[in-house]
Amino acid sequence: MTTGPRMTTGPVDARGRALPRQADPSQPLLVVENLRTHFSLDGDTVRAVDGVSFTLQQGEALGIAGESGCGKTTTALSLVRLLPSNARIVEGSIRYFGIDLVQKSDEALRRYRWREISIVFQGAMNALNPVHRLRDQIVEPLRERLDLSPVAARKKAGDLLELVGIPRKRGSAYPHELSGGMRQRAMIAMALACDPAIVIGDEPTTALDVMVQAQILELLERLRRELGLSLVLITHDLSVIAETCDRVLIMYAGRVAEEGRVSEVFRAPRHPYTQKLLGAFPNIQADRRTLEVIPGSPPDLRHPPPGCRFAPRCPAAMAVCTEVVPPEVTFGGVRVACHLYPLGSDGEPVIVGSLARPVGAGDARSTATAEPVSR
Amino acid sequence: MTAAQLQGTAPRGVRVGAGAWDLLKRLLRRPEGLIGLTILATFTVLSLVPQLIAGPLQTAVTATGGRLEPPSGVHYFGTDELGRDMLNLTVHGARISLVIGLLATLVTVFIGVVVGIVAGFVGGWLDALLMRITDFFLVIPTFVLALILTPIIRDLVGSGATEVFGIRMTLIVIVIVIGITSWSSTARIIRSQTLSLRERAFVDRARVIGAGNGHIMRRHILPNVINLIVANAVLTFAGAVLTETTLSFVGLGDPFQPSWGQLLEAARSSGAPGLGAWWYVLPPGAGIVLVVLAFTLVGSALDDLLNPKRRGRG
Amino acid sequence: MKGGYLARRLVSAFITIVLITVVNFVLFRAMPGSPERVILRGTPNVTQAQLQAARQRWGLDKPVFPDQFVAYIGSTAQGDLGYSFIARGRTVTEVLGQRIWPTVVLFGLGELVAIILGLALGAYTGWRRGGPVDHVGNSLSLVLYSTPYFLLGMLFLLIFATTLRWFPTFGMLTAGMQYPGLWERAVDFLAHLTLPLATVAFGLVGQYAIVMRSSIVETLSEDYVTTARAMGLREGRILRHHALPNALLPTVSLIAINLGYVVAGAITVEVVFNWPGLGTLAVEALTARDYPVLQGVFLLLGVSVVLANLVADLIYGALDPRVRT
Repeated sequence: MTTGPRMTTGPVDARGRALPRQADPSQPLLVVENLRTHFSLDGDTVRAVDGVSFTLQQGEALGIAGESGCGKTTTALSLVRLLPSNARIVEGSIRYFGIDLVQKSDEALRRYRWREISIVFQGAMNALNPVHRLRDQIVEPLRERLDLSPVAARKKAGDLLELVGIPRKRGSAYPHELSGGMRQRAMIAMALACDPAIVIGDEPTTALDVMVQAQILELLERLRRELGLSLVLITHDLSVIAETCDRVLIMYAGRVAEEGRVSEVFRAPRHPYTQKLLGAFPNIQADRRTLEVIPGSPPDLRHPPPGCRFAPRCPAAMAVCTEVVPPEVTFGGVRVACHLYPLGSDGEPVIVGSLARPVGAGDARSTATAEPVSR
Repeated sequence: MTAAQLQGTAPRGVRVGAGAWDLLKRLLRRPEGLIGLTILATFTVLSLVPQLIAGPLQTAVTATGGRLEPPSGVHYFGTDELGRDMLNLTVHGARISLVIGLLATLVTVFIGVVVGIVAGFVGGWLDALLMRITDFFLVIPTFVLALILTPIIRDLVGSGATEVFGIRMTLIVIVIVIGITSWSSTARIIRSQTLSLRERAFVDRARVIGAGNGHIMRRHILPNVINLIVANAVLTFAGAVLTETTLSFVGLGDPFQPSWGQLLEAARSSGAPGLGAWWYVLPPGAGIVLVVLAFTLVGSALDDLLNPKRRGRG
Repeated sequence: MKGGYLARRLVSAFITIVLITVVNFVLFRAMPGSPERVILRGTPNVTQAQLQAARQRWGLDKPVFPDQFVAYIGSTAQGDLGYSFIARGRTVTEVLGQRIWPTVVLFGLGELVAIILGLALGAYTGWRRGGPVDHVGNSLSLVLYSTPYFLLGMLFLLIFATTLRWFPTFGMLTAGMQYPGLWERAVDFLAHLTLPLATVAFGLVGQYAIVMRSSIVETLSEDYVTTARAMGLREGRILRHHALPNALLPTVSLIAINLGYVVAGAITVEVVFNWPGLGTLAVEALTARDYPVLQGVFLLLGVSVVLANLVADLIYGALDPRVRT
């Protein structure tokens, strides 16, 4: 897929895409360090994202999972500073090929939006403007951000539609005339318009039925391979992550609980929260067992508990958990923040609670969500 | 916390049939509610006991001053073209305007609620018919209709000196005419709410035990639209006062019971604006603006408190 | 698709106009006492013969339904609205025709100014929420909303005409003036037009600004605006291309719904400034109990409002593709 008119004399990434002049291709694609995004609400400060770090390599697919309200969407939106007026990034860095986006002014940051990092919102929402035709909405970033001529933009818009499996003719339709699945595809086409390096998917398959979900995921996977995209997938649905992502980041109450390769984390979850999440998964192959329910609810982020935020609900909580924030420790590619794995420990997973054995990654096939379904 | 909660845009809980005291307190906490209620309280006092504050209503015979005198130590608001004290006229005008407004609101809301609930609940051809009528009243210039209806009904009723709630029959006719012409927006709003209530479980439960339509409408639907009715009634009051004022201004008022609108009509026909007699225009005018403003403030605060969802077109 | 929407609106408008005519008819016949007495009011000692002649002349000797009704509908459809009681045998149509264009000028221009200013103000304050313009504009709009048009008119009169003497106090042209040329006439006309126009415009601006503002605020929080921001589009483009088209929708609805009410205000403004239009005509007819003229005004204004609503519906259909299917 050819890109828009760009100078190719500057830095380029692994795909040969031109990068912003300040970019350093030897640096990792995205390094987020100690990101803190806080909201001010009715005089209180909601610490929605409170010290999140991760790295994204070129061509990688990272899934960010967690309950509603754990801060995963806020984290993703912070990357392009798409925050409401009462939210601010108060600390941390977001380095895109070495360029710290947090330090950029609003106007300077605008340049990075869509051209380097784009977002696919839930198509079922009102993410498409109801009074404009589909192809006009795809043409818009092509003309406004890439300065394509009207003719070239229309042609490319048609190409993009076909790329995601929508017949070119359907471009003249309005959003309300399309099914949920087609709207989601259209959103993907829009997200690819400026040939970004990173595509963030914010719950891209929620509110779609299972068959359509599978199609969309297949599409994303195909596009990733063909275009060499890097994906950040936000979802509470672990099965989606199991199918499409290389690595997974489990968030809880604004912080990272566990992070690592999907195969490893799903095979041997270390953090008690991850274990609970995976245990809340109905396993078609396993013998009938009652679903694990995580008692309690996430903390109020206006007044988060000191120490580990999961401690109030953790079956393995120790005294230190309510006092000291657990340090992040890495074992063989998996990062955990839990006092069960202090600095210097061997990193062997500690099975918590009544979960007799860890669930294998291949068992995560149904569409159950991370939140437990009661019988 | 959900995204909506983080941004502070999530709807606050709507407790159906919330207690009146609790509502009042919440209302007073908002600045619009506080200002509005204070103004309304002041004018309510004025209209309950006008004699106590300004003495009996002055007539051409009992006028105490000369023609169109500017404000002075004797007549704080000056006098009108008959020499009557403007303060006296304005205070009594408060009572007349507000009582007419209240009565008209009662009629309007009554008709609107009945039509709205019946149309929304019964549905079918009755709903279609009622809504056609409602839409008709929404489209036509109801003011001109009122203009025509008032003299017709007045001739019908005759010009007795009977009074209802201390208001002469000529003005009661205005009450009725306002009621007949203003009920449609209330009907639409109540119908919407009825439609959504109809689908709720408690209606099915009532049907299962054999309750008839009328019973369900009265005992189940009505209590749940009370909140909406109250908010709507307050805004209707504002509209009723404006309508009565305008009708009086074009000559349909009663010179023996001058409402604020009637006072302004007298001001105009005696040439006050052209003569610079601002004291004839300002007091009744300020009264109208303050009262309508107060009702609008309270009404929209109530609307926010009781009905957080936004209403779309139609 | 579009044809269906258009057809439905046309049929609906037609039915409403027919209904207005029917109401008119019923009203006339609903008058107490025999209509003839009202017709011949002011004529003392009416004899039976005179009464009979009047009845025949006005077609009142035939049965009300269907004869009178059909006759009424028929003549109305042909534009024959009967004779004015007062204006010495001139037809209602003539009388209306004479007084219509001052109202059109005043009202039309007033709406135009109010729409342009109101929408612009509303869009700006909605976009820049919380600024000083927003607060002042909001409070001002609220107060204006609570002020009857005629009161505003009288205040303007007092301040700008009587006290400051910048503008004349009444009428459309200075009475008895001879104008050397068209320019002088036009200037005098404009001088007389200013205050009533300002009154109508001020009365409306507040409402339109408030609705546009809340519409823009709501639109700016929609998901497609978030998408547009994520795309890195400039704020100005987002406002113009994404927010405005959607925000206009409820505003167009409001303008249409409001027309019935604005008519009331326009009538009273004409009365305040003695502007020789349909409004003053209506009040004159009211005072003189000239019912045919009153009915003619009702019919004319009613039809105008219905047609204006139709136009608004069409504009809405053009703006919002969702209603066209």
